[in-house]
Amino acid sequence: MDFVLPELGKGIDEATISFWMCEEGDKINKGDDVIEMLTDKATFNVPAPVSGVLKDILVREGEVVKVGQKIAEIGE
Amino acid sequence: MHRRLPVWLKKKIPDMKQVEETRDILKRLNLNTVCENAKCPNIGECFSRHTATFMILGDICTRNCRFCAVKHGIPSSVDINESERLGKAVSELGLKYVVVTSVTRDDLKDYGAGQFVDVINSVRRHNSGTKIEILTPDFKGDEACITQVVQNKPDVFGHNIETVPGLYENVRQEADYGMSLNLLKMIKKVNSKLVTKSGIMVGLGETREEVLGVMDDLRDVGCDLLTIGQYLSPSKNNTPVAEFITPEMFAEYKKLAEDKGFVVASGPFVRSSYKANDLFAVAKQTLGNNLIN
Repeated sequence: MDFVLPELGKGIDEATISFWMCEEGDKINKGDDVIEMLTDKATFNVPAPVSGVLKDILVREGEVVKVGQKIAEIGE
Repeated sequence: MHRRLPVWLKKKIPDMKQVEETRDILKRLNLNTVCENAKCPNIGECFSRHTATFMILGDICTRNCRFCAVKHGIPSSVDINESERLGKAVSELGLKYVVVTSVTRDDLKDYGAGQFVDVINSVRRHNSGTKIEILTPDFKGDEACITQVVQNKPDVFGHNIETVPGLYENVRQEADYGMSLNLLKMIKKVNSKLVTKSGIMVGLGETREEVLGVMDDLRDVGCDLLTIGQYLSPSKNNTPVAEFITPEMFAEYKKLAEDKGFVVASGPFVRSSYKANDLFAVAKQTLGNNLIN
């Protein structure tokens, strides 16, 4: 399934990928923090929306992502 | 290498359903918050708890402080129905403690003092028992304006000193350190029992000694409550962060300020209105009932 950037708070339309905590091929559990996002005034840990295997990381550290944009694929 | 913030500047993703509920009420009643306009990092946390800090007198400020994200320009005329809507919003949100601030309105004869009075009275009319904290601009030091607001007895009268005097020219260039101190002094002169509050941002390049100097100056004018928080630059056009102050340093500032007699909130994400009701509760215990209205 598509792993999209969720809403991080009111008025935040986009954020920078600060740090991936997992690599492609890692097994992840729903609710585990997998990515750290950076805004002007804070960072946020984004948890996995479902359990599965992290596939196809589409955006790298330092890149800017919009809320709702696909950032990775989570497979079986 | 891309930028990363220190680990202690991490927030939890808020419950967006609750955030939207708060946002909807504010939007329907056409009210501004400093949370949105100043890009506060605590907005998700506060909105999800159905709290907000109202910003009255429009969303355009007549001053252009370099640390602040609020728009600068020529403001619109004063909305005479704003206080009524704000009173209703406090009721709909069920707030037992409300913080009201404003943009600076150097264009108005009373610098916006009358609107603060109307808001205090409207909140009281719509919400019996709700405590009101105001966070005002300096009213250009006008004694009549300050007196008018004090006489309407907000529960807490706040005015932020913002930074150390040596950085005013770079950060708060249209304000005057002495005038801000004098405002706090005047509040106590009019009503010595009214609780006063101020806030300082750290991480702008100030030294520890300068921060301690500000604490002394604030105590000299009888300031009761103090907030100390990390300055975070709202955009690339604002003053950049000079230093990320560690949680340990914030703890030290808290201890030093308490030793000087303040009731203190100190931490990276502390803002002048952040969990203001909690600080007020501590103040009630610490300062005693004789200081509270």
